[in-house]
Amino acid sequence: MSLSKSSKVKTLGKSSAIFTKTIVQMNDVSASYDSKNYVLKDIKMSIDRGTNYAIVGHSGSGKSTLLRLINGMMNPTSGKILVDYQTPNISDKKFKSFMHKIGYIPQNLGLIKNSTVLENILIGALPRVSGFNSFLKKFSDYEIDNAKKILKQVSLEDKADRKIYMLSGGEKRRVAIARALVQKPEIVLADEIVSELDHVTAREIMDVLAEAQATMKLTSIMVHHDLQLALEYADRVAVIKEGEKILEIGVEGGRIVDFQSGNYTQREILEMFTNESKE
Amino acid sequence: MNQKNNLIIGLIIAGVVFMSANVDADPRDFVEGLPNIGIMLQEITEVDSSLFVTAFWSMLETIQMAFIGTVVGVTIALPLSLLAARNLNNKFVYIPIRALLAAIRTFPSILWAILFVIIVGLGPFAGVLAIIMYTVGFIAKLQYEAIEAVDIDPMDAVSAIGVSKLQLIRFVVLPESASHLLSQILYIFDYNIRQTSILGLVGAGGIGFYIINYIKFFEYGKAAVFMLVVLVTVLIIDWVSVRIRDNYIIKSQRGMQVRV
Repeated sequence: MSLSKSSKVKTLGKSSAIFTKTIVQMNDVSASYDSKNYVLKDIKMSIDRGTNYAIVGHSGSGKSTLLRLINGMMNPTSGKILVDYQTPNISDKKFKSFMHKIGYIPQNLGLIKNSTVLENILIGALPRVSGFNSFLKKFSDYEIDNAKKILKQVSLEDKADRKIYMLSGGEKRRVAIARALVQKPEIVLADEIVSELDHVTAREIMDVLAEAQATMKLTSIMVHHDLQLALEYADRVAVIKEGEKILEIGVEGGRIVDFQSGNYTQREILEMFTNESKE
Repeated sequence: MNQKNNLIIGLIIAGVVFMSANVDADPRDFVEGLPNIGIMLQEITEVDSSLFVTAFWSMLETIQMAFIGTVVGVTIALPLSLLAARNLNNKFVYIPIRALLAAIRTFPSILWAILFVIIVGLGPFAGVLAIIMYTVGFIAKLQYEAIEAVDIDPMDAVSAIGVSKLQLIRFVVLPESASHLLSQILYIFDYNIRQTSILGLVGAGGIGFYIINYIKFFEYGKAAVFMLVVLVTVLIIDWVSVRIRDNYIIKSQRGMQVRV
């Protein structure tokens, strides 16, 4: 594997928007699940609106925690996070209304296995439905049309009435993406969405996301453990090692445009990930 | 098998023998009494066949009582189970609800029936109320356990959208626990039919009312006819619920395609 390979990347999904505003800002953020062991240490990160941002690291490096800090499902132990100028916290009413605009695809996807594909993706529209109507599972014609349009976008239009447990791994991921897109999100967070998939299916899923990111002008923040994949699809790539951000790369047209790392050389970073894929 | 196990088994057997003597449970009485079954069977053949019609109608009354009791009981139990689930509520909500449910469960249905006979008088209504109480206590407990076992991933993913608790319940908790609920409803309906059959013993309607009265008047043949009808009914319902369970529950829980 070498970085020059990434020059063959598809330009699809590389957002051409002019970045004016920061949507996610982290200043010296640390997080831990117990008081002793830190999962994340002093993370500094600034993500501009419309960026296709990738976070890469080995398993257990704290990548998933980073996403849960951004959508307010978890609070940092110290440091400050701003997402759309607010501190993320699920208990905060004002932030909760911004959560409607954050599509979150956890690693296990979190689909309702006994419900149909359409029912699952309409969950993304729930913030726009009144409590009474949602209890009756009653959605407006507009919402149903919109959901079907997005099903078409992820190539699942003929599977709307299938139950989740009847779908393949790739199809399930498309449903999870569609649920996030139905939210009309400003940010999409995806946690290792293509790990466990074969090479071809993984790229199909990445293409679906890249296309949505470009057409809907969203900010996507994706966690990967495959550096090569991240370099192919992202505008910026951050590498996390044992809870610390050790590197951030800007990628443009498949070429690395800036390389910010104090302690590691480009070669060392590559070796870190090449060794993993050999294991 | 080691000596310690032998000792434990020996102690258990000794306990059974000692306690049988204590409660006057003598197997010899059973052997001596066996010929009485013959008398009963002979009496069945002498029973007027029109009695089967009466038995059928009283069984139908029993099934209706069990059906009403199950439907109303489950309807009351479901919201209570949502309030009693620890993953949906804080302790100020779930602790009192759990205490209430535990209190309801302390009474077997026959004691509830006696209580309701005192309150609303003799007849099927008292029996229906007793079945409702028993169903509420039983289903609410099993259902809140099922709700607490709902997979954390969908709960997490849907909560992260910022939906209301009611929407979370409607779109995640209910569908994810529905197959458990259906399984429990089938079981409790089956169980309620058997229970309702004996509630007549305390005057709370249903087929048990006939059975106890025939026994009081030493009409064992007639009592046996009614018991036979209960047996056949329970067997049929058991068979039907096994079919439903196989087709709708087992397969969907294992993630297989459901054959309809």
